[in-house]
Amino acid sequence: MSERMSSRRGANQQAPSFLQQRRAWQAHHRQVARDSLIRLRQRPLGTLMTLFAIAVALVLPATLWLLLGGAQVLDRNLEDTAQLTVYLSPSLEEASAREVADKVRQRADVGRVELITAAEGLHQFQASLDLGDALQGLDHNPLPASLVVQPVTRTPEAVAALAMQLRQVNGVDEASADMQWLERLKQLTRLGQRIVLAFGALFALGVLLIVGNTIRLAVENRRDEIEVVTLIGATHAFVRRPFLYSGAWLGLGGGMLALVLLAVGMGWLSSPLSALASSYGTDWELPGLGFEGSLLLLVCSTVLGWLGAWIAVGRHLARMRPR
Amino acid sequence: MIAFEHVGKRYGGRFEALADVNFRLSRGEMVFLTGHSGAGKSSVLKLLTCLERPSRGRIVVAGHDLGQLGSVRIPFYRRQIGVVFQNHQLLFDRTVFDNVALPLLIQGMPASDVARRVRAALDKVGLLHRERALPIELSGGEQQRIGIARAVVHKPALLLADEPTGNLDPQLSADIMRLFEDFNRIGTTVLIASHDLALIARLRHRVLRLKDGRLIADENGS
Repeated sequence: MSERMSSRRGANQQAPSFLQQRRAWQAHHRQVARDSLIRLRQRPLGTLMTLFAIAVALVLPATLWLLLGGAQVLDRNLEDTAQLTVYLSPSLEEASAREVADKVRQRADVGRVELITAAEGLHQFQASLDLGDALQGLDHNPLPASLVVQPVTRTPEAVAALAMQLRQVNGVDEASADMQWLERLKQLTRLGQRIVLAFGALFALGVLLIVGNTIRLAVENRRDEIEVVTLIGATHAFVRRPFLYSGAWLGLGGGMLALVLLAVGMGWLSSPLSALASSYGTDWELPGLGFEGSLLLLVCSTVLGWLGAWIAVGRHLARMRPR
Repeated sequence: MIAFEHVGKRYGGRFEALADVNFRLSRGEMVFLTGHSGAGKSSVLKLLTCLERPSRGRIVVAGHDLGQLGSVRIPFYRRQIGVVFQNHQLLFDRTVFDNVALPLLIQGMPASDVARRVRAALDKVGLLHRERALPIELSGGEQQRIGIARAVVHKPALLLADEPTGNLDPQLSADIMRLFEDFNRIGTTVLIASHDLALIARLRHRVLRLKDGRLIADENGS
């Protein structure tokens, strides 16, 4: 026997070096990751059911989030179309109306200004309401001349301020910015954000419970094994590891399934939604999750699965403390 | 190696499993722990493996005071001992090799060393040729040998065994005991709980006798 061999076989075991231990540790991680995946594949039905439960729990808040994102895009589109209607005094002659229009046009906070004379206004009114000759009997035009003003800054606050100032202009009767509904839409979006957040938290808890319960069953099934490895010196981290990997795999798988379900659902919804949008004259499409959103979903679901497993195993480990 | 000083263990405040137990084991001894079932053999082993803590008294094993050992340090204490179970507690979903390798895996030993150590341990119990088998394919005696190989693969200084021959016929039991004697001969301290009095008497080692939770005899074999 060579000297090297005999020295390696010393009576006392020499501790493996730090580097060796780290390499062994990494190898063990790889092994456990693979094993836990194989274990999940060994009971396909149960795994699939868990994955679907996770996916469903993820799809709902994700859908809400997408719709909310869509609403925000819509918001901005609508802000782009923000405009003011300025009604001039009915007594104003057409020439004076043009002067007022020019005056407004010179303001820095105003973009395009379009004058609609009283006659044009009546004409448009007739055409849009399809009144035919019903207005022929009027002896004078009841409509004032008006200006359609496009503000430079299109936030509801700026538009409202501009309306206030335009009301002060000589010859202006009323300036109306029909921004109230836009304001309401913004409030609704804000409310929607909170609802998405609440649902998100609730369904994240759901994922935690689903994975937790699945892992709890796995722990029960491997009770003997846990007992044995604990008795021969396994740390809690060692005992936890396979279950944490199982939980993370379940989370990741559930997340991927959720992305598939979302893609299918969005495909199904997108054509009626864009039809609805175009009927309102905006060209709007439901935005997808995109790469970052998808990645975020996967990371969240994986972390949730991992956390659920941690809690489930932790409960079991706490029961094994020496009394 | 082991010191029990006035050790008592109560369960649920009433039932007294051990009362004022005192004994010492020196390094390199081989000792039998005997008594009827319920006499406290299992309690002694549970205390030694840190599955339970003493209600009273002090237990010191290889310098560790087990009553004071923090739960973080318990795994590292357990790595210094080897345990053989009555029903051998093999994991049936993996091969003999993987079963024996488990303690080394837990300690984070490099794969090359693991293979060498596992084969050495299997060789010692005479089952090197079964390393690829599943435990279910082995006989009861062979399963127990695998359990022993797993208990010694990491070369523990202390080997504990709980009724290691409980389910075996006399011939196999004698073989198993001879294995323990082999390990004892190379310096391992061995403590075996057993109620197989005939076998114990033949082997002529020190015997600790428990009755109703009390140590009633400490007999030197030879």
